[in-house]
Amino acid sequence: MTDRSLDLLIDEVALGLADDADVARLGRMAQADPAIAARLDQARQRLLALDDTADALPLPEGFWTRLEARLDAEEATTPPAAPQPAQQNVVELSSIRNAMHRWRATAVAGMAAALMLGVMLAWVALSRPEPAVIAVLLNDAGEAIALVEGLPDNTTRITLLERQNVAADQVMQVWTKPEEDGPPVSLGLLSTGRSSTLTIDGLPTPRPQQLYEITFEPAGGSPTQLPTGPILGKGLAKEPVT
Amino acid sequence: MTDHATWIKACAAGDKSALQALMTAEGGRMFGVAQRMLRRIDLAEDAVQDAFVLIWKRSHQFDPSRGSARGWVYTILRNRCLTMLRNEDRVQPIGPEAMESAINDQDLDTAFDRLDQTDDLRRCLERLDLQTRRAILSSYVLGHSHGEIAGRMAAPLGSVKSWVRRGLTKLRECLS
Repeated sequence: MTDRSLDLLIDEVALGLADDADVARLGRMAQADPAIAARLDQARQRLLALDDTADALPLPEGFWTRLEARLDAEEATTPPAAPQPAQQNVVELSSIRNAMHRWRATAVAGMAAALMLGVMLAWVALSRPEPAVIAVLLNDAGEAIALVEGLPDNTTRITLLERQNVAADQVMQVWTKPEEDGPPVSLGLLSTGRSSTLTIDGLPTPRPQQLYEITFEPAGGSPTQLPTGPILGKGLAKEPVT
Repeated sequence: MTDHATWIKACAAGDKSALQALMTAEGGRMFGVAQRMLRRIDLAEDAVQDAFVLIWKRSHQFDPSRGSARGWVYTILRNRCLTMLRNEDRVQPIGPEAMESAINDQDLDTAFDRLDQTDDLRRCLERLDLQTRRAILSSYVLGHSHGEIAGRMAAPLGSVKSWVRRGLTKLRECLS
């Protein structure tokens, strides 16, 4: 590879235009040659000023809590990263022993994960926050298809009561009308087709008589930001009696 | 070492409060970068979450002698956003095409305008013709691929590729 084409490869990777194969190729070259690694870092550094031109936006509420939970889950399931051997060309005689250690570590981590899950379940059961409103969504035939719990912080728990066959190019989207005569607002997508918890910022605390509905929309969500597809079910919220 | 480098080193030692400090300092900007590329708040949050998990897991690989800590952080975030843009079909434009395109151009001009007047990158981008500049900016700022740039500019893919390459060569010569 000429120096000129290497420069271009570096620039395209730094810019984000290179395809996966080129990114991987340059990664291998950079690992083998510190001078190439330095050139790649320099190319990235030159463009970094452009990241600073993005607005700094407030992170969604509960961001750190969700992140911390993921870190804990990672720790419980993955053994700590083993340091890379310095000489990758040398045959490692200790690799079999390492493999055994990894198996053992995986087994221990598995047990730890199971224990962790138990603790988390207990914690969830104890600290599951009270919803401000609950709505049962009914389909046209009057059958209950989903239970919606709206929390005061506008976290919405959706429990599907029937498995839906969603076409591959469609997705279920959850909507509410925070104001009775205002437009419906999207709470998010049930992309996995299963029960889910959605969070959204900037809406008032849900109130009794608030409308909730789930519609089928094109994959990626409604293109117009308003419900366009057939309604799976809808219902008005009520305040739970406590 | 900068604050960022110190935090990443502390992450490698298992200190979660260091990751939280990094999140407090940089998370908002990262969220802005991710939203500019992914166009959807929910996906942007996923990308920033993923980036922080990766930062945590890879913190032991960070070598402060090799480059800036902020650069390392943003590389991880950008790669995550690009993977989501390229490999997952759930990223769809939110509005009609014409509206998207107007928002995109506006984002590109804003990005350029916000570069510091004394920044070499700005000075060198200014020397490129408008189309080349927009093509280069849209790949970095919006994460557009060669194909998307060609589509937006209604130009053949081959010419867009060689044209971006010429722009990148000019840019590198100007910057070094």
